[in-house]
Amino acid sequence: MTPPTDILDYRTQSPEVSARFSKLKERPVVLSVKNLTKIFPSQNGDVTALNSIDFEVYRREFMCVIGPSGCGKSTLIRILAGLESETSGAVLLDGNPVAGPGPDRGMVFQSYTLFPWLTVKQNVLFGPKMAGQKGATVESEARQWIEMVGLSKFENSYPHQLSGGMKQRVAIARALANRPRILLMDEPFGALDAQTRCQMQSYLLKIWKNLDITILFITHDLDEATYLSDRILVLKANPGEVDEIIEVPVPRPRTVDQFVSPEFIATKHRIDELIHPKNKGGDDELHFPRMTKEGDDVE
Amino acid sequence: MSGSLKKAREPWFAVRRELSPQRSSVLTIVSFALPLLIWAAVSYLPFLWHPDVQLQLSANRADVSTVYVAGDRVSKSYFPEFQEAVRSQNEDLKKQLSSDDPLAGASESSVRRANKKVLRHLVPLLIQNKWIKDDQATDDEAIYHAWGELASSSRRLKSPSLSEENLAIVEDNWKAMSAIAPNYVSDNFVSTPLLSLIPQGKTSNPDYLPAPDQVLAAGVKVFSIPADGDRPSMVQRIGHSLQIVFGGFCLAALVGVPIGVVCGTYPFFSRLVEPFTDFFRYMPAPTFSTLLVAIFLANDAPKIALVFVGTFFQLVLVTANTTRRLDMPLLEAAQTLGASQRQLLTRVVVPGILPNLYDDLRILLGWAWTWLVIAELVGVKSGLTEFIETQGRFRNFDMVFPIIILIGLIGFFTDQILSLIKGLVFPYTEDGTKAASHPILKAVLFIPRLVLRLLTNRSASGTT
Repeated sequence: MTPPTDILDYRTQSPEVSARFSKLKERPVVLSVKNLTKIFPSQNGDVTALNSIDFEVYRREFMCVIGPSGCGKSTLIRILAGLESETSGAVLLDGNPVAGPGPDRGMVFQSYTLFPWLTVKQNVLFGPKMAGQKGATVESEARQWIEMVGLSKFENSYPHQLSGGMKQRVAIARALANRPRILLMDEPFGALDAQTRCQMQSYLLKIWKNLDITILFITHDLDEATYLSDRILVLKANPGEVDEIIEVPVPRPRTVDQFVSPEFIATKHRIDELIHPKNKGGDDELHFPRMTKEGDDVE
Repeated sequence: MSGSLKKAREPWFAVRRELSPQRSSVLTIVSFALPLLIWAAVSYLPFLWHPDVQLQLSANRADVSTVYVAGDRVSKSYFPEFQEAVRSQNEDLKKQLSSDDPLAGASESSVRRANKKVLRHLVPLLIQNKWIKDDQATDDEAIYHAWGELASSSRRLKSPSLSEENLAIVEDNWKAMSAIAPNYVSDNFVSTPLLSLIPQGKTSNPDYLPAPDQVLAAGVKVFSIPADGDRPSMVQRIGHSLQIVFGGFCLAALVGVPIGVVCGTYPFFSRLVEPFTDFFRYMPAPTFSTLLVAIFLANDAPKIALVFVGTFFQLVLVTANTTRRLDMPLLEAAQTLGASQRQLLTRVVVPGILPNLYDDLRILLGWAWTWLVIAELVGVKSGLTEFIETQGRFRNFDMVFPIIILIGLIGFFTDQILSLIKGLVFPYTEDGTKAASHPILKAVLFIPRLVLRLLTNRSASGTT
């Protein structure tokens, strides 16, 4: 693939976008990751999955983490959620170090993790119940969350009666019902078909817009990262390190039409450059033998 | 072409391709019909197997100590030899009768006694032809009368009939008998030796394979025997057997499930409990039977204990495995939602494994059934097994088969019912959706569902 010559510089920001970013950076830091390192011991020597990761997420920011496979993005989010422990470094939530999983960091997984024995409403009520909250107010709040993800009709359905997209919407409502400080999303739409995924991305942007919620979103999809994010944290593999933090120059509110805007293409192009370096592997190294007759060309 | 519009026929044999519901039900029926048909064919088609001859008419061989009576089975190869022996015995007798000393030195009273036995040799045939009743087997007057009728050809035996050879012997003997007296008089019975009837029989299977109709008839008979003193009725026996199976199984489940769940949840308990359990389960439960009798003494306790030993250790391991198979992401999700360690166990692990645990317990209940027979032999024999044991010892296999089939049926239907109601117990599983559309369950649940709907509608309209 030869790089198109007329691509915009991804660092070029319109005045509105630039103003948005300076406002964003004035906001308090919700999540701060300091010098985070994760080493997995193995029989063939230790494997460094993450190497001194440093970044900050501001209040109500939407940040995506992207990187080639094996860059440790899932390990990163699992450490943030408290499901795994770091080897060194620190994770601070509102300035306080976190230890172990907790309801202050909501998580949506790639696999469907709704409790099959609970109805949609009971699933959403799970978090409040664990905290010992009961009563009519909690119930009506749960209904509101379900309404927000558009599943009021299904509040008494069981998960196996829902489609994949619906399940993930319930999972989002369930995580939000705990009123977390940050919502961690680990490739939540990865198992969905392309159309549903696109729909879910729009849903998520609407929810995010109307709530005081900070989102850290893991994906391997360039379009998804560019469409959703304020900033994109690009990781590189072996060992997992921060490659670059890209400020997405695409103005908000985002629409699907922007997929072909120059800023959008420029951002995608930059991510592609970072995670698929031209000199390492790629199409050029593959050898295609001709297996058709001369004159029977399609191009 | 009209052929091209025709729907292609679905093949019956295609790798992993589901059959249509009709075909599936046909095959289910065939799967039961086929063994029954084979059993019926082997029983009713003589050329398929029938290695024995079942005697309809027997005779005494003077020089052989083994006595066969009507109903006994002899091998096909021995039967002609048996007939030939009796024939030559008759030939010798005829020679003796025409000699100077027809009694050959025997006393008149002993010959008369032997003749009375020959007279009664016809009894099984007469009873089967309903000429005399079951309780007339020693009614010599009636038997004597029957001989007369046969000899004068005024009546014929139909099923089973009498061979021409034997009819001639009957006539010969009747000549001798009627020459003394037209009616039976015990003291004035013929005292010259009578000819023996030649053994008659029909080919049959060995006694350990009774025909379906015999098993059915025996089954009816077995169930109509009332309780008598310390001999319980069949229904009581079934009740007793069920008590042992379910007693042992429920006890094992009650103790084993919690232990299994804890093992599957905490690696600490898994390492502590499972290695020994794994070793213990290889020791066959029956080897503990004498020990169990020593500990629990007689009656039901050692029997229930044996079913317990047979199921408990498997149950712990199976439950632990099922618990470990619970989706890890479910536990992680619960933790990010704020569940404590204790809540993980009670609110996620336990409800999460229940449907699989239900299936496990269903399978283990089947195991418990297999221990039943051994358990009932421990200490004082009891229940269905005691009946099988006793009847088997007398070679009444037609009585044994109904009980074996009965145990199978109880186990099979328990399992079917448990599998049918799984969907009701767990409406959130795939079985739950299936159960909701199951015709039988639909019919059964129509009224309760209607009531439920009315109630929920009322409460919904009450809150809004």
